[in-house]
Amino acid sequence: MKIAVLIKQVPGSESSLSINNAQNWVDESSVTFVMNPPDNFALEEALLIKESRGEGEVVVVSMGPSRVTKVIREGLAKGADRGIHLEEDDPMEIDPLTIAQRFTAVLKEENFDLILTGLQSDDTGMGQTGVLIGEMLGISTATLAIETDVMDGQIKVKRELESGWFQWVQLPLPASISIQSGLNTPRYPSLKGIMGAKKKEIKAIHASELYNGTKSQLMNSIFLPTTSKKTEVIEGEVDQVVEKIVEILRSEIKVI
Amino acid sequence: MDILVVLENNHGSLHRLSKEAIVGAQRLGDSISALVIGKGANEIADQLTGYDLEKVITVSHELVSSYNADGYSEVVMQVAESCSPKIILAGHTYQTRDFMPRVSAKLAIPFIPDIVSISDEGFVKQVLNAKFNAEMSSTSDKMILSFQSAAFSEDELRSGSCSMEVFEATLDVNNVRSMSEEPFQEAEGDVDLDSAEVLVSVGRGIEKEENVHLAFELAKAMGAEVSASRPVVDSGWVDSFRQVGSSGLNVAPKLYFSLGVSGAIQHVVGIKGSKNIIAINKDPDAPIFELADYAVIGNVLEIIPKLIEALNN
Amino acid sequence: MDSISFSFFEKFILAGLTLVALASFTYEVYQRLVIVLKGTGSLPFDRFPERLSRVFREVILHEKVIRERPWPGIMHALVFWGFLVFGIITLDHFSIGFYKSILSESAHKKYSYIVIPFSILVIFGILSLTYRRFITKPKALGKTSPSSGVVAFFIVALMATYLIGEMNISRFLWKVNWWIHSIIILAFLFLIPRSKHLHLVLGPFNIFFKPFDQPEHTPVNIDLEGDEDELDAMLTDLTKLTQNQALDIFSCVECGRCTDVCPANRGGGILDPKHHFILDMREPLLENKDVAVLDQINVEAGWECTTCQACTEVCPVGNHVEKSDEIRRLEVLVEGRVPQEYQKLFTNLQETGNTEGASSSELADSLPVFTPEKEYVLWLGCFARHGLDPNFNRSVKNFTKILDVAGVSYGVLDQEHCSGDPANRLGDKLTYTMLREHNMEQLTDTKKVVTLCPHCAVNLGKEYEKYGTVSYTVEHHTQVVGRLMEEGKIKVQMGENGKVTYHDPCNLSRILDIEDEPRTAIRSTSSNFQELEESGRNTLCCGAGGALWWKKETQGRTHLVRAEQVIESGADTVVTGCNFCYGMMKQGLGPLTPEGREEVLVKDVADIVAENLI
Repeated sequence: MKIAVLIKQVPGSESSLSINNAQNWVDESSVTFVMNPPDNFALEEALLIKESRGEGEVVVVSMGPSRVTKVIREGLAKGADRGIHLEEDDPMEIDPLTIAQRFTAVLKEENFDLILTGLQSDDTGMGQTGVLIGEMLGISTATLAIETDVMDGQIKVKRELESGWFQWVQLPLPASISIQSGLNTPRYPSLKGIMGAKKKEIKAIHASELYNGTKSQLMNSIFLPTTSKKTEVIEGEVDQVVEKIVEILRSEIKVI
Repeated sequence: MDILVVLENNHGSLHRLSKEAIVGAQRLGDSISALVIGKGANEIADQLTGYDLEKVITVSHELVSSYNADGYSEVVMQVAESCSPKIILAGHTYQTRDFMPRVSAKLAIPFIPDIVSISDEGFVKQVLNAKFNAEMSSTSDKMILSFQSAAFSEDELRSGSCSMEVFEATLDVNNVRSMSEEPFQEAEGDVDLDSAEVLVSVGRGIEKEENVHLAFELAKAMGAEVSASRPVVDSGWVDSFRQVGSSGLNVAPKLYFSLGVSGAIQHVVGIKGSKNIIAINKDPDAPIFELADYAVIGNVLEIIPKLIEALNN
Repeated sequence: MDSISFSFFEKFILAGLTLVALASFTYEVYQRLVIVLKGTGSLPFDRFPERLSRVFREVILHEKVIRERPWPGIMHALVFWGFLVFGIITLDHFSIGFYKSILSESAHKKYSYIVIPFSILVIFGILSLTYRRFITKPKALGKTSPSSGVVAFFIVALMATYLIGEMNISRFLWKVNWWIHSIIILAFLFLIPRSKHLHLVLGPFNIFFKPFDQPEHTPVNIDLEGDEDELDAMLTDLTKLTQNQALDIFSCVECGRCTDVCPANRGGGILDPKHHFILDMREPLLENKDVAVLDQINVEAGWECTTCQACTEVCPVGNHVEKSDEIRRLEVLVEGRVPQEYQKLFTNLQETGNTEGASSSELADSLPVFTPEKEYVLWLGCFARHGLDPNFNRSVKNFTKILDVAGVSYGVLDQEHCSGDPANRLGDKLTYTMLREHNMEQLTDTKKVVTLCPHCAVNLGKEYEKYGTVSYTVEHHTQVVGRLMEEGKIKVQMGENGKVTYHDPCNLSRILDIEDEPRTAIRSTSSNFQELEESGRNTLCCGAGGALWWKKETQGRTHLVRAEQVIESGADTVVTGCNFCYGMMKQGLGPLTPEGREEVLVKDVADIVAENLI
């Protein structure tokens, strides 16, 4: 069983982030980059599937500048067998269709049985890559899997729905599944894993050679959310206060 | 038509986010049609007759009687190919995330998801865990959009009238390969604070264990979950999995409603990501008020019972 | 009774039985020693006179046994001293059987004036202990131990048969009595190595070999660029006990003092040091006849340990009980099984060199930078540097105020990374290596380091030294404050502090052996000072040790047990000498303070001194 795990390297959530001069992304010089946390769960799921079947190959695929080899090595240290690095120049591509086309070009040749992705990335959060790739490869898709059950030629997936509902879906393999965070406990790389990762193969391919069509979507600029934290003070008689709160809940925050 | 709004059936009634999506559509264009798919489509369509829409299209093919990504994306593509809308739009729900990218790839048009507002040059979505907003735009005149919960308010729905139309989709087992079972709920006790939209949080200001039930009742009235600060958990008044703060969970709900929480630093660090914070505390100097959007200075034990009453009516 | 003689046949039987008993005894002891010698490292003989003196105090004088549990301790001392006194008697007893008495009749009579009273004391002692074990049944002693019952019976019977032997009875009865005494002794020999009573033999040796420093864990040298086979061998070795550790396991007397004092156990956790860190490995040791048994340690229990060393401190037979280092490093380095909250911690340390993943420090920016002509590097530690409790920043500033008043120059290191204590105590020796190598480089030109964090002090000094030469000295800030007071460079006056108590941080009092300086400082500023129940080297850990500060406390009250004690003491202020203890006290005291009482104030030693500077 061949499983591809698509991993993205994103700014760490504790990094201090400030907007760059061009105002179209953050200033990356002071950023600490990490493996996109949702992708960590996808990787763990892939490793668990391989281990439970007693056979298989897990391939980590990542697109980005040279620094992303770090997250590929991390994946290898945790147990993936080899990696593929889609080398990307500045600026970072954000158009989901372009990104998906590039991955599809690489994945198509290898005939993976299963493609796993995290539910979305912590940077742009478009949440589409896995499904787009599935459509482009002509295979079935499912998202927000909180449980997977791989059988021969089929996969059963428990999808998480809103408000505590769930749904089981059965798909033929090959399939592209996006993984909901929290379904497993990602492992830490063992020392042997870290040593062994140095020897595992990472194939590098230039992303623009794979697809360089027109971008369908652009990120024009980024800016700080304008909702200023102005604290509205509410005091007074209990009944008035309660009335005000109900109004806020209904019209301003809109949760009832 | 200008805009095709794909609606979602929420266990028999029209999903709130679908209504909000229609409001968004009404902002963007004039000629708006809605699409309802699957079992119960006609009943949902009936609920729309008072809305200002051109028409409601229903699709009732048996292969999409319950939701599946293959079928829904195929249907939307076929409807879009037949009616050529400029914009396909929906509420940003788990269902939309599941099939709309398929439509994007099938039609080779961009999908801009989880939009919070419309700007002059494009659409605003949150990035980097909502630390920043980004303006996105499509390079083609055709696009797919989804709106985040509460980007628009259903109060602003323009009423009017619309007609119903049935669309015959062409579906077979070649293009609908997945099989989905009926959705189900799991037993209570599977509390997931992480994904709760609203958290009612209990602090020491609740004073006694006997008063903690007020938080649970308020939560029930709001469809929320209950969380707590560390001292309350340490005192054994609330189960430890509800603890929020530096050694408990970090949460980022849409609304964090705190009752008698002082806002000690170890707690506050766990709630910083909340989109809205209402804090009730009788101490006007409580540190939580620095973080809160709405600071209610008053006695929790007096306010909550009346609030519960007001919400239940 | 030297007119009693034994027939050849009797001597033959006696010889046979004695030989069998001795052979069995020797074989069993030998078997265990063979296993011990398979352990890694070697048994220490350094500081010989100190080791000998320790054996004298703890074995002959029974210092620790009595101090920790006074009444049972004294009862046990009686039995033990009786055992010593009976040495000659036992030899004499067998000598009579084979040949004749080795004592002259007058010597025998004089000696009996000592032995008879002792034998009564022994009976009193053993009956008292038996009552405690089988009737009172304290929890620490665990399940009913049949071997204890047998031994108690043996000892009483031996004393009784001795006393009978001193009486005027018929030859026949005397001989029967003699034989009973002999059989019991031989049965005792048979029983000793197969039960916890092996401590009779191994105890003194184990106490001799006990490490002076605690915690004492084999350093884990990791060279990522090194040979892969060497790394493999090193990882395999991680499951092996050291010789000292193996000896510990056979010496364990199952008294349960370690579990009694364990803060994790007292906080409702499952950790039971007696079983998890010692006894669980005894059967595997004997079955496998090999020392690769560290993977037998219960993993969940292993993660609960605060590494406070209370268990090691209290063990009367000199065991280094705590083994969280061993099991955690197996889980992290070999298995890659790390609780999620610690994975985040390790990543932060690797990426940013601090526990919080922060890229800057306000506190560090507000302090002078170290330059080589300054006297001290003021080592901040992640807790202060990155505001794990922002209130503690005031304590750091109070300490710098003291230094300023005394005219002592200091500065902070710009590139100070975490000393590595969390990584070290959690078993991530790889991240620890990275941090340690970085810090050593930063400290190349440093002569003196002072820090407010005992965890940093322990690592920068003792732990780093296990991996290479350390060219600087490390002082805890209370030592510096104490010295400055002594030298008259700062003067303090008595303040209005109400009732003040001091919580000894476990890393400071037990691991660094610093208890006096903080007290001197406090006493010179407060007239109403009172010790807590468990103080000094017997302090009860606040619960933050072993990197538990960063653990998601989903259950357990380890962190509250000490706070409760502080409240019960009735103190108005609790002073402490560690930023983690400070933070824990601040978190724990609030919720536990009963209604109507003022919350206990928490201060660092630096605070109470700075507040009362003249």
